Amino acid sequence: MADEQVPEVQAPPRPPQHPTYPWPEKSRLLGTRISRIDGPQKVTGRAKYSYDITRPGMIYGRILRSPHAHARLTSIDASAAEKAPGVKAVLLTIKPGDKVLYPGEEIGVLAAATEQQAADALRLIRVEWEVLPPLATVEQSMRPEAPQVFTPANTRRGTAQEDGDPAAGFKAAAFTVEATYSTQVQTHTSLETHGCVCEWNGDNLTAWVSTQAVHGTRDGFAQGLKIPQANVRVITEYMGGGFGSKFGPDIQGLLCARIAKAAGAPVKMMLDRKEEHLATGNRPSAFARVKAGVAADGKLTAFEAQTWGTGGAGAGSDYPLPYIYVFPNRRRAHTDVYINSGQQRAMRAPGHPQGCFVTEVLMDELADQVRMDPMEFRLKNLPALAPNAMWAKYFPMGAERINWQGRHVTGDPTPGPIKRGLGCSANRWGGAGTGARAHCEISSDGSVVMRCGTQDIGTANRTIMAIVVAETLGLEVPQVTIELGDSNQPFAPGSGGSTTAAAVMPAMRVTAGKARDALFERIAPQLGVTAKEIQIGVGNVIAGGKTISWREACKMLGTIPVSVDGAWERGLSAGGTSGVQFAEVEVDIETGITRVKKIVCVQDCGLIVDLKTAETQCYGGIISGLNYAVFEERILDRNTANMVNPNMEWYHMAGQSDIPEIDVVLVDQPERGVIGIGEPPAVATAAAIANAIRNATGVTLRHIPITPDKLLTELERAGGTN
Amino acid sequence: MKAFAYVNATNEKEAVAALTGATRGRVLPMAGGMDLLGTMKDYIVSPERVVSIKNLDQTITSAGGGLRIGAAVKIADLAEHAEVKKLYPALVTAAEGVGTPQIRNLGTVGGNICQRPRCWYFRNEEFNCLKKGGSRCFAVEGENQYHAIFGDGPCHIVHPSSLAVPVIAYGGRFRVVGPNGAREVDAGQFFQLPNANLYGETVLQPDEIVTHVLLPAPGQRSAVYEVRFKQSHDWPLAAAAVSLVMSGSTVKSARIVMGAVAPIPWRVQAAERVLAGKTITEAVAVEAANAAVAGARPMSGNAYKIQIAKTAVKRAIMAASRV
Amino acid sequence: MQDDEKDVSRRDFFKTVGVGSIATAVVAGVTDASAQGPAAVGPEEVPITLTINGQRHQLRVEPRVTLLDAMRTRLDITGQKRVCDRGACGACTVIIDGRTYYSCSMLALEAQGRNIRTVDGLATGNALHPVQQAFCDLDGLMCGFCTPGFVMATVALLEKTPNPTAEQAKRGLDGNLCRCGTNIGVLKAALAVKGVTRG
Repeated sequence: MADEQVPEVQAPPRPPQHPTYPWPEKSRLLGTRISRIDGPQKVTGRAKYSYDITRPGMIYGRILRSPHAHARLTSIDASAAEKAPGVKAVLLTIKPGDKVLYPGEEIGVLAAATEQQAADALRLIRVEWEVLPPLATVEQSMRPEAPQVFTPANTRRGTAQEDGDPAAGFKAAAFTVEATYSTQVQTHTSLETHGCVCEWNGDNLTAWVSTQAVHGTRDGFAQGLKIPQANVRVITEYMGGGFGSKFGPDIQGLLCARIAKAAGAPVKMMLDRKEEHLATGNRPSAFARVKAGVAADGKLTAFEAQTWGTGGAGAGSDYPLPYIYVFPNRRRAHTDVYINSGQQRAMRAPGHPQGCFVTEVLMDELADQVRMDPMEFRLKNLPALAPNAMWAKYFPMGAERINWQGRHVTGDPTPGPIKRGLGCSANRWGGAGTGARAHCEISSDGSVVMRCGTQDIGTANRTIMAIVVAETLGLEVPQVTIELGDSNQPFAPGSGGSTTAAAVMPAMRVTAGKARDALFERIAPQLGVTAKEIQIGVGNVIAGGKTISWREACKMLGTIPVSVDGAWERGLSAGGTSGVQFAEVEVDIETGITRVKKIVCVQDCGLIVDLKTAETQCYGGIISGLNYAVFEERILDRNTANMVNPNMEWYHMAGQSDIPEIDVVLVDQPERGVIGIGEPPAVATAAAIANAIRNATGVTLRHIPITPDKLLTELERAGGTN
Repeated sequence: MKAFAYVNATNEKEAVAALTGATRGRVLPMAGGMDLLGTMKDYIVSPERVVSIKNLDQTITSAGGGLRIGAAVKIADLAEHAEVKKLYPALVTAAEGVGTPQIRNLGTVGGNICQRPRCWYFRNEEFNCLKKGGSRCFAVEGENQYHAIFGDGPCHIVHPSSLAVPVIAYGGRFRVVGPNGAREVDAGQFFQLPNANLYGETVLQPDEIVTHVLLPAPGQRSAVYEVRFKQSHDWPLAAAAVSLVMSGSTVKSARIVMGAVAPIPWRVQAAERVLAGKTITEAVAVEAANAAVAGARPMSGNAYKIQIAKTAVKRAIMAASRV
Repeated sequence: MQDDEKDVSRRDFFKTVGVGSIATAVVAGVTDASAQGPAAVGPEEVPITLTINGQRHQLRVEPRVTLLDAMRTRLDITGQKRVCDRGACGACTVIIDGRTYYSCSMLALEAQGRNIRTVDGLATGNALHPVQQAFCDLDGLMCGFCTPGFVMATVALLEKTPNPTAEQAKRGLDGNLCRCGTNIGVLKAALAVKGVTRG
């Protein structure tokens, strides 16, 4: 369940235990703006992603997929493909009688000398199907007369959760709002598609995989191929985005490994854009039929919701609801609805954008009922202030920056077709992480190498690792070498849930600290002092009144470098973030076109390691939220369940001219330790935009994405456009 | 895409020779390649031979008070050309809105005119739609939010050319060349409704190409208004081009053409008649816009386009009147 | 979706169109164009020469191989990325004669005879091009997969319009997409660089 790590009611955090290597009282580097250390590699094109890897003798793989959403295989004949020019191996993973449950489902794989030959050969495989009636929408799936496609049923009803006394709560309400809200299915659309290069050396597999989890992917290969973990090495020095969809080898990785073995050659298999949209995951849709009650004084009294959604073929769709605000009496029941489409995977803050959208639009509707300013209404109904629940402080900060005082009552009265509006929303997230291990070497020439089998998925992990190491050793960032992205390196968890910073930074601090102490131990005798009398300076080491440069100190190591292992320790990181966002929009009510003009974000993430890249994370999350609000949608043909927009032309994402002004205020909470920032800023943007559109136009858009058709339809319903 | 042989035609004669005898789809001309390569990668067309015509006439020259524009002119060059900007501002507006800088640099005027529809049923191999020889139009009972609001089917694409819309408003013609020589086709007659031509969108035979766009002397005022959702790169939801011949401050005659609303660029003479003899005011523009959409027959999911089309017409008229 | 010749209903349909050349076209199939006009090359591999970042490369490719794929899979020039392969995302953007193009939408054999500039050739040794430096300084990148395309789009923009307004810069970058959402830093970088001359 997406929300396990964050309890509804925020308790104050425990005082941290005393870590062996606490964060410095006064930082030199932490919290400053430092450029990404892998920037030069990326801007020059020298960074090699899985998609760029070439191995001697490498050939190319392609997966055979079902074109149908629901079908039974009647026959398959790959003989023509096996004989096609350049083909080295063909493997089928389906047999007559087997069923497929979504378009793009994998049914075989082949490898050929060139990509063109592989594509040509794939089309020579003769496949015959008995096409079965598909379920393309939640409505179709929920109908009593729907064909039973899934076992035991097309839907799975969860148990209702109840707190307090909803009936009494509604009795106490002066006003109620009843409405249905919904959010769409989104696909991750990572620019680097899923895939890998697999190369066997006897029984040992090396795989360059576009993954968020080198260790998890290694284990996945081992399990899937039934070989020892020690036989597998996964390398991901750079990867082009995952957003939650890349945690293991997946079917394509295992097929790649198997076809590479069968062909006796390394195989590169990177999915194409259509495959990526169909079969590598998505954010489930969310529907909510809600009834909520509010007292005359603006205090929420009751909440009741029936919710449902689809995660595709047999997969879940739950999400937290209500979100953040205190409804003392509530009841909620969720039903997972299955359809014949690709299965969901965690996608940037799973569940939270859905829950936030539903709750925040509802909050604006309730605020209108009691004629309160929407921000004041929210302030009245927040959980108690706590370090991980700072909305009461953040709302006024953001309000000032967007000129919330200038907000007109809902429905811009300005004459003409352009209407402006403001909206706001709140977000929370966990972001605690544990378990990373690392190895640090300090050599006699002063080089510092820190190895950790974590990943940099675009988050600047590599950079913040170097910053912590440099801070600890009194060095500058360029003097630290970070090696990551290899399952042969010490274990670190996968990069998901915004847990990486909290999992890895403590390991950096501890391991670098241990390396520093080991250095002191080693050179103390030569300096004629005890190790405890040595202190780290900035670029130097101070021993008993004498200062020697870092280089001089390291030279004393001689031929044997310092080589230490370290691991994550409690007390340097935490979980639980809070933030608020405001949106300003301009809506053309004659065309239904919304332009988002400005987003203001106030966000925390514990101890900020690199302010520059943390701000960039916020920009990125906000832009993903904007896309969720108005642009992106996985659209299925309602009759065949095939995706009609599996490309980057009709799967809309913002381009440069669609990007608003974005104002980010990151609040540093160094006393809390490091907390992740990847997901928090992605949660609340869509809700703020929807509320801004509501403020601008006077009509409530309860279904995203807010495309011109939806807006014009609502405007028409409300009394016509001009 | 499937393998193909490639011919680089350096002039019209070579192009026609390479296309002669071709049945539809087996030999295809390629200008910039933006559209053709996309359709080939999706296996919508799989020619055995591709004939490059990007090296044909790329000049823009004065002719009869107007301009003669080589079909191989890049859209970026069209948009930056001083004479085109002076005489045909609506064409420049449309050209500047095509795609992205990269697309405008590669794509040609002729390619934009002759490109295939963007309909997602046409472009997805899984759907054997009417236009591809199948038995149904999937948009009718399917996802038709971007499909036509005019025309009686049986295919409900919207014609994707941004440039065709102002070309027709300006009364332009296309010079077409084939094995039987050259002919000129009125741009308003060049595009064909699906019930006249289901498998293509224009009067071009498989062995013919457009070599030039011929624009007559323009009216006094013209404008194009396109409505897009994404401002960065998107297909218009609706567009309108207006060309006015004025008599003092009143409209002597008007040509109004809509784009992205029908399988062909949609000329609306009912709207033109509203303007004739009038001074343009917002009220007059609104009346003309209403007339423009009066015959709309929306599908289940695209009635909203009527409002957008109306707005495009109204704003194009207002923009033209301010020129 | 094979030949439409075999579809009887289509042939009947053509008859109704009523233009003379149709009849011959349907019956004759594809005539040998070498009888008149230039010869066809391919479909098998043909020798081509590509000049990339000032270096000449000789290779053999089928006509159907795009410039992007020739660079990436035949020449191991992997700076530009394959992301959408349909001319919608800009990750494959190259510069030829000062203009940007989607190299996924160009045939390799049509890219002969001109210098193709990719991100791989922008830096001089370890000295970054000013645009590359600005992207690093202003954090106009995250995972980096869109970055080569954005860098090339920015270089071409600034070579043509050295001091763009924000609107001009946005228009120049509208052909590139970023999923991580680095557009804020990218725009800052594009507006910060001064004095870019044609490379």
